[in-house]
Amino acid sequence: MDNKRKTVLHWGLGGGAAILLSLVLTDPYLRSVLTLMAISALLAASLRFVMLMGELNFALAAFAGLGAYAAGYMNTALSVPFVLALPLAGLFTAVASALFGAITLRAKGPYFLLIGFTFTEAVRVVYSKIPALGGTSGMIGIYPPLSLDDWMAGIVVATSVILLLGLFAAERSDFGRILLAIRENENVARSVGVNTYLCKVIAMSCACFVAGVAGGLHAFVNTVISPGDFSYLLAAFALAYVKVGGENYFLGPIVGAVVLVALSHYAIGLGGSEHFLYGGAIIVAVLLMPSGILGAFGKVGPRSVETKVRAARHAV
Amino acid sequence: MKIQLKSTAAIVALSSLVAPAAMAEETIKLGLSVPLSGAAAVWGKGAEFMCETAADEIREDGGISVGGETYNFACLPYDNKYNAAEGTKVAQALLNREGVRYIGGSLGTAPVKALQSLAERQGVLVFTVAWGASLKGTDHPMTFTQMNTPGEILPVLLRYVAERHPDAKSVAMLNPNDATGQETEALASKVWTKNNVDVLTSDFYERGTTEFQPIAARLASMNPAMIDLGATPPADAGAIFKELDVLGWDGVKIVEVGTGADGLKATGGAAADGVYMGAGVTFDGDTVTDHQKAVNTRAKERIGESLNAVQIGFYDSLYALKAAMEKADSIEPEAVADSLPRVTFRTFYGGEIGFYGTNIYGRDQQMRLPIIVTQVRDGQLEEVARLIP
Amino acid sequence: MQHVIQLGATALQIGAVYILFSLGLTLIFGVMRIVNFVHGHIFAIAALVVASLLPRLVEGGFAAPTAYVLASLAGIGAALGLGALIYFFGFRHFQRDLVGSFILSIGFVLMLDGVLLSLFGGSVRGVPEIFPGTLSVAGAQITMQRLFLCAVAFLMAAILYWALAHTKLGKALRAVAYDHEAAMMVGVPYGRIAFLGFLIASFLAALAGALLAPVTIVSPVIGTDYLIKGFIAVIIGGLGSVPGAILGSFFVACIETVGGYYLDSSYASIAIFTLVIVVLLFWPKGVLGRG
Repeated sequence: MDNKRKTVLHWGLGGGAAILLSLVLTDPYLRSVLTLMAISALLAASLRFVMLMGELNFALAAFAGLGAYAAGYMNTALSVPFVLALPLAGLFTAVASALFGAITLRAKGPYFLLIGFTFTEAVRVVYSKIPALGGTSGMIGIYPPLSLDDWMAGIVVATSVILLLGLFAAERSDFGRILLAIRENENVARSVGVNTYLCKVIAMSCACFVAGVAGGLHAFVNTVISPGDFSYLLAAFALAYVKVGGENYFLGPIVGAVVLVALSHYAIGLGGSEHFLYGGAIIVAVLLMPSGILGAFGKVGPRSVETKVRAARHAV
Repeated sequence: MKIQLKSTAAIVALSSLVAPAAMAEETIKLGLSVPLSGAAAVWGKGAEFMCETAADEIREDGGISVGGETYNFACLPYDNKYNAAEGTKVAQALLNREGVRYIGGSLGTAPVKALQSLAERQGVLVFTVAWGASLKGTDHPMTFTQMNTPGEILPVLLRYVAERHPDAKSVAMLNPNDATGQETEALASKVWTKNNVDVLTSDFYERGTTEFQPIAARLASMNPAMIDLGATPPADAGAIFKELDVLGWDGVKIVEVGTGADGLKATGGAAADGVYMGAGVTFDGDTVTDHQKAVNTRAKERIGESLNAVQIGFYDSLYALKAAMEKADSIEPEAVADSLPRVTFRTFYGGEIGFYGTNIYGRDQQMRLPIIVTQVRDGQLEEVARLIP
Repeated sequence: MQHVIQLGATALQIGAVYILFSLGLTLIFGVMRIVNFVHGHIFAIAALVVASLLPRLVEGGFAAPTAYVLASLAGIGAALGLGALIYFFGFRHFQRDLVGSFILSIGFVLMLDGVLLSLFGGSVRGVPEIFPGTLSVAGAQITMQRLFLCAVAFLMAAILYWALAHTKLGKALRAVAYDHEAAMMVGVPYGRIAFLGFLIASFLAALAGALLAPVTIVSPVIGTDYLIKGFIAVIIGGLGSVPGAILGSFFVACIETVGGYYLDSSYASIAIFTLVIVVLLFWPKGVLGRG
């Protein structure tokens, strides 16, 4: 019980601090960095949620894009207000990803990864072919209501905290345990009567709901979206956040997103040399800190998975 | 623990804020939002070079004098990776971190839209080479265009080609499936029809394509008298003409907004001969000044190929800004934007020019640059017609 | 009829390059169980070295074919060096770790993007034709350059096919791909075999780069397009399967050629992706994939 109270306390303090920070920051630049960190953390946490069952969801970029375009289209063409467009974008993405998952989750491991990769690239071409979505030059004018303008950073961070809490609860629930069991040995899980296929599709859909809302936030924060925003690199970066932060920790993707987004904002002033720094940071982190920043700094925060599982996994 | 994390994050973010040290106080920072990585990196690098060249020249000439003070330009190139999300990051960093109030030039329709959206809210003056017609007009009083766009080029170029080849009555068109390609295609098919030329097909291909044989086979199978590659980048265009040559197609070749012959020759070889271009700049011939030659030689050393019209725009914008600042006797963006349409300045192409465009865009926001029709002849790019609008 | 032959010839030529590319991908996956996104850069570095060295050698007085061979050797050498470096400092520690090796390869991709751009510049390089001339086969036009490319590609595929079945190394590679623990138990030195497999794969990519340099657009970003098509080919054929990679390559080449001819070529790209999904509906492990 004590553990549970501690967890609640952690969430209250951490989430509260993040929201408070977003409200007290007045510098528009730091605010924009903070919102980007929150959105990136959401994407990374979504990716990690699917990783719980041992799959790498590279279609994340496509689903974040679907969320962004859905929110953008609803807001600009159908005049759906911001507060409604955001959850609807998430729902739309969840349904689309359930369909995608129902087809592709029959395949596993590298196949699932690579299908996600090709799907992402195909969806981008499709956007560019639809004039109603702005074609290749992108969709403009996706504004939240003027009265919310000053509160956007707070709204983004608060939404992120709520969704992260949702993912956390799901991971700690029986459903989360089933996902871990699937990762360890799907056949065993199936033999005790779990419909593993259905569980995987549901997990995919939940994770993509989060990705869709993250995409919607991205659209409203940037006010402009283009097909180029949602290339496979978005998923690659999300994976970097997970890996650099520490994939065995729920906090891992959040820490990774904060550190790497800060780094990328520093690097952006270096012109074309940005790639050196960013790529270099990923290589160094992966080689020297195989269980991420959190792993390297010892047993910080709640651990969710035994390290043993990690080593045994993916021996396809 | 979590609080600690967040505060660490804040420190990291803050330290990035301080990193690029402040410049001397009489410096006017010019932000550049350009691709510095990926396929279009060479354009961004060239843009950076041209901005610096003009800034150096202006400094040596004694700078900009406004209200008794002397100012100089400094160029801050940021990589927008050609997409809106990175364009937003760049815009945030330039406007809110660096405190930039002038964008010396910006490239790529999607990232420029992202930049414009933020810049307009902050009253920042934006120069751009991006073509999107939606970027221009009376809704965007702080945006100015530093390069000829299809609206200027196509009517002149296509009429010239149609008159030179009166027997050629059919054309097949191909454009890259991106903002510039879609923009160019929409206008070009209208202009061709106006010149009584039949448009047999108008296709798009994905940027980054490396195998052009199927595309060439399709174009050749229509048996057009002319093939118009619109906004296809020169290197891709060269590869397509080469495949067409193998297939035995021979006709009038056009790359409407072809910017340079180097890429065209690199991939097309002899098949590039005869190609007409509407945005090419030649550095051979008698009309080329020593200044142009010298700058181009240095550019070649630095970026590996001849300068093109996109990059030259990043030179001209600095002289335009200088003239407007001195006329307005102010470095406030709104006052400068107000006087820009009324000044003349020395362009890289030679001669004094101003701004025009009220007829098409509702306000004088387009540099009155010469429209130069060039053709590749015996491996050299030659100027065949020049029109000053 | 003539355009059918022309389309067939085109598909064959494009397919030949995809074969070289996807054979490497499938080999690395089979032996090490990793998805290698750096493959495209290994290909690119070979093409870039050829493109920047060849003109200098020709100016230096070498005959074009000699210069081409020399430049190709240098390009393949550079690519193999890069491959060995990446293996020793990276992938060696991430064998059979799909997620870890993948994120590492993304790190390498980002870094090499920067390295190649600053080493070679972003401008496109032209490579003079080495084997000029065009061959006319039943009305279809094929350049000698492409014909040479095809011949080498098919020869390499045949050699690899034969070597996997008949040589000691080939058998060891197959054994490791089939069950690496059992192979190690009967005395196959896994580490060495994995390294050799990685080098052979890098060699195939480098060879493709050197062969393609004179017929395509050489720039630092050239690898991505081939990488995507190569991956599609191996997904369709089945990861780890050599005949699958060949089959998949032809499949992609055919769709690309026919789609690009009858449709707009950007729709052909969508068609390729859609077909991948359809194929996977019926064969979740690729057409010729095993468990």
